[in-house]
Amino acid sequence: MTTVATEAAASVRERILDAAERDAHLRIVGRGTWLDANWPVTNAEPLSMHDISGIMDYVPGDLTLTARAGTTLAELREATAANRQWLALDPHGSDDGTLGATLATASAGPLRTYFGGPRDLTLGVEFVTGAGVIARGGGRVVKNVAGYDLTRLMIGAWGTLGVITEVTVRLHARPPADESFAVDVDSHTGAGEVRTLLRRLPFKPYACEVVNAPLARALTGATGAQALFRLGGNAEAVKAQRAALTELGTVGPMDPSAWTRLRDIEPANAVVFRLSALPSAMDATWRDAASIVGGASDAFVHATPALGIVRCIVPTSGGETTSVLAGLAAARSTHVAERLPASAWSGAGAISDPLSRRVKATFDPHDRLNPGILGGT
Amino acid sequence: MNIATTPPTRIAAIDQALADRLATIVGEKRVLFRPSELLTYTSDALPSYFKQPGLAVFPGTRDEVIAVVRELAARQIPFVPRGAGTGLSGGALAEGVVLVGLNRLTRILSIDAENGFAVVEPGVVNVALTRAVAAHGLHYAPDPSSQAACTIGGNVAENAGGPHCLKYGVTTNHIVALRVVLPSGDVVDLGSVGGEHEGYDLVGAFVGSEGCFGIALEITVRLSQNPEQIRTLLADYLSLDEAAQTVSAIVATGIVPAALEMIDQATIRAVESSIYAAGYPTDAAAALLIEVDGATAGLEHDVATVEALCTANGARTVRIARDEAERTRLWQGRKKAFGAMGRVAPHLVVQDAVVPRTKLPAILAEVSRIGERHGVRVCNVFHAGDGNLHPNIPYNGSDADETARVHDAMKEIMQACVAAGGTITGEHGVGLDKVSYMDLIFSADSLATMCALREVFDPDRRSNPGKVVPVHSCREWHGTPAVRAASGSR
Repeated sequence: MTTVATEAAASVRERILDAAERDAHLRIVGRGTWLDANWPVTNAEPLSMHDISGIMDYVPGDLTLTARAGTTLAELREATAANRQWLALDPHGSDDGTLGATLATASAGPLRTYFGGPRDLTLGVEFVTGAGVIARGGGRVVKNVAGYDLTRLMIGAWGTLGVITEVTVRLHARPPADESFAVDVDSHTGAGEVRTLLRRLPFKPYACEVVNAPLARALTGATGAQALFRLGGNAEAVKAQRAALTELGTVGPMDPSAWTRLRDIEPANAVVFRLSALPSAMDATWRDAASIVGGASDAFVHATPALGIVRCIVPTSGGETTSVLAGLAAARSTHVAERLPASAWSGAGAISDPLSRRVKATFDPHDRLNPGILGGT
Repeated sequence: MNIATTPPTRIAAIDQALADRLATIVGEKRVLFRPSELLTYTSDALPSYFKQPGLAVFPGTRDEVIAVVRELAARQIPFVPRGAGTGLSGGALAEGVVLVGLNRLTRILSIDAENGFAVVEPGVVNVALTRAVAAHGLHYAPDPSSQAACTIGGNVAENAGGPHCLKYGVTTNHIVALRVVLPSGDVVDLGSVGGEHEGYDLVGAFVGSEGCFGIALEITVRLSQNPEQIRTLLADYLSLDEAAQTVSAIVATGIVPAALEMIDQATIRAVESSIYAAGYPTDAAAALLIEVDGATAGLEHDVATVEALCTANGARTVRIARDEAERTRLWQGRKKAFGAMGRVAPHLVVQDAVVPRTKLPAILAEVSRIGERHGVRVCNVFHAGDGNLHPNIPYNGSDADETARVHDAMKEIMQACVAAGGTITGEHGVGLDKVSYMDLIFSADSLATMCALREVFDPDRRSNPGKVVPVHSCREWHGTPAVRAASGSR
C-alpha cells in the first residue's frame, strides 16, 4: 500500500482548491451517462473524470485490481477476461460507465444476488474530500481492518463527501460453467413463488430476476412474465441447479445477451425507481409495484426475489407520469428513486439525519461536491 | 509494540462518588473500584499489555448501558467498551479510565429465520448465536478462533474474521443494522432491515471502529444457510513453499473453499503435544486444512480438483475427513493452536498482517529468516487463502533480552509484509498493539481524515481513547490548510 497520493488525486485536489477560491461548486462526471439521474444538480461546474483512467495494478494470481476511477467497466472486463477473471458487478447502464461512478452510486445489477454489491467487492479507495484533503481507506489486499472504514463511507455517498480517484477491487475467477435459463411464471404470483423456491434451494444462483410480460418480450421474446436465472459453478453443479428449477415449470435456455439488454433497457427520460421490503414480502412488493405503474402498459418491471427488491422503469412518453409519481409517493414499500423528472424531487433526502449531516459537514464543509444530491441541502 | 507496563494513573474524576453514582444504575455488585478487583481487566488475550482501569462497570440491560454512558458524558469521563476480552490487539484496555463491560447483555432479541436475520445484544457469544439458529438450518458465518467466548459486540468493533471468511466474508459483510449509543449518550439507528437504505453507509463506518465510535446496543446480523455438504481435507507437505504454491493454484481455479488454512511444523508440533492433538503429521513442514462446502451436486468434483492440485503441488498425503467427528478433530487443532502454544512458553505475541496471496511463498521465507536472525521461534498458523498471516512467537516475558528480540523480530516481520504490498492487520484490529505501525500504511492526511470521522461520532474522543489512530495524527486535521484561500459560506 502506498502512503503517497497519486497524480490523479493531486490534479483533482487542484480543481477543488481552484473551485474553492472562486466559491464554485463541482458536479463530478464519470462518462456522463447518468447525469440526469438522482437529485438534480444545478449551479455546478463539471469535474470530468474522463482522463483519470487506466488500470494501475493487476496481478491475476492475487485476484485484485487497482484502477483509476474514470476507468470504464468495459476496460476492466476486457483486461480481466484475458485471465478468465471478472469483476462481478453489472450495474444498470452500459459498460461505458466508470468504476468510480459505480462505487459512488453503489450501483449493482442482477449479479448482486450472489456476489453482493460494490461494498462487498471493494478493498480500498483513494479520494479527495470536498476540503481538498487526499485520503485513502482500506488497501490492496483482500482482508484489511487497519483504520476506520473510509472505503465503505465513500461507497454510495454519490460523490457528496469526496471525489474517488482510485479503487482496488476484488475479482473472481470465472467458473467452468456459466449458463442462463428462462422459465415462464405467473405474472401476478411469479415473483413470490420464485422467492419461496430460492429459500429452499441448497445453492444461490449468480442472478435471478423475475420480469413482467413487456420486459420478457423485449429480452427473450416471450409472451408472458418470466423468471431469468444465471447459474455458475462446475458443469455437474450447474446441471443439478437447472434441474432444481423445473419445479417452477419448463426450463429453457436463454441467450446470455439478455442480461446485457436488461442493464440498459431503460429509454431516455424514463422514470425509474426501486421498491423494497423484506424478501418474505416479495409478493406484496410486487403487487405494490404493479399498482403504482398501473395504466402504463409499456412499463418494465423486474424483481430480485433474493433481496426483496422490485425495479420499475416507466417511459414518460405514455403520459402516465403524474399518476405513477403520485402512486410512488403513497407507496407502502420503501422506495429509492433512480431517475425522476427534475420537478419531482422534493423532501428532506437521505442524509437529513444529524449524524449524516455531521459527516457531510466534516468531509465537504462548503458543500463543494455534487451540491443537493441525496438531498443534503 | 510497547511491552513495558506503565503505572496506572486514575483520572481524578473517577472516584468513590462516581462509583456510588454508577452503582445506583447497575447495582453495587456491578461496579468494581478496588485495584485488586480490577486485575482481571488489565489485559486482553494478547498478554503483552497491562493497563489498569480506574473503574469497571457492568450494566445488565440496554437502558443501563445508556444511563451509564450518559452519566460518563455528563462528567466528560473517557471509557472503554469491552466484550469478552478475547481481543488480540490490546484494544479493550482502559488505562485509568472507566471500563464498560458488556458481557451481561446476552439476549438474542429476535430471530427472523424466514428472512435470515437476527437481532442480538452486544454480549451474545458468537457461537451461541449459531447454536440458537441451528434448528432453522442457519448459522452466523464469521467464526473467529475465539468464537466459543468472544461476543458479537466485540466482533462488530473489530470487524472480526475467521477461517470461513474466505468464502463468506468478514463481520462487516454480515451486519445489516445497528442501534448505537453514541459517547454523548444519544441513541441512533444505523442502517435498516426491511428494504434498501439510501444515504451514507454508517453501518459500514461503525463496524471495525474498535469501540471509538460508541457502543452497539442492538445488532442486526445476516444469517447464512447451512451448506448441504461439507468436505474437509488435510494435505501435508515436506516444504512450506509447496504448501503456499498449492494455495495459489486452488484460488486460481475459481473454486472458493469455505476455508484454506496453513499450519507450519512448529505449530503442528505444539498442537500435537497438547490436549488438542488433531492427528497432524509431526514430521511435515506444513499442512493445509481445506474445507469445501455447498450443494451436494458437483461438490465431489470440486473436492477431486482440490485434491489433485494438492498432489500436483507436492502434497505427501491428502486425507479427507470421513465423518463429522474427524472433521471436528481436524478443526480443533487449528482453532486451539494459540492455546496449545501456552505449553511452549508463558507468553505469546501474535501478528495479523496480510500480504497479496502471490507473495506468500516469499514472505514465509522472509519471516523464517527474520526469526533465525533474532534467535526466536516463529510459528505460523494462518488464513492462507486470504494471505492473512498469523506469525506468533512464544517467549518468556520475564527474560528482558528475549523480549527485546521478539519485539525486534515482530517489527521486521510487519515491515516486510507492508513492503510486500500488504497491510498491518486483517482481522484483529489495530488497538494499542499496531497503532505505531499505522503511518507505515497511511499518509498523515489519511490518518487525519480517520480522526475527523471519529469526531463525527465522538467529538470529545472519550470512547476508547488512544487506540487505532496515533494521537499526533489527530491534531493535524484542523491545522491542515486544506484550501488555499478562505472560501465563503453558503
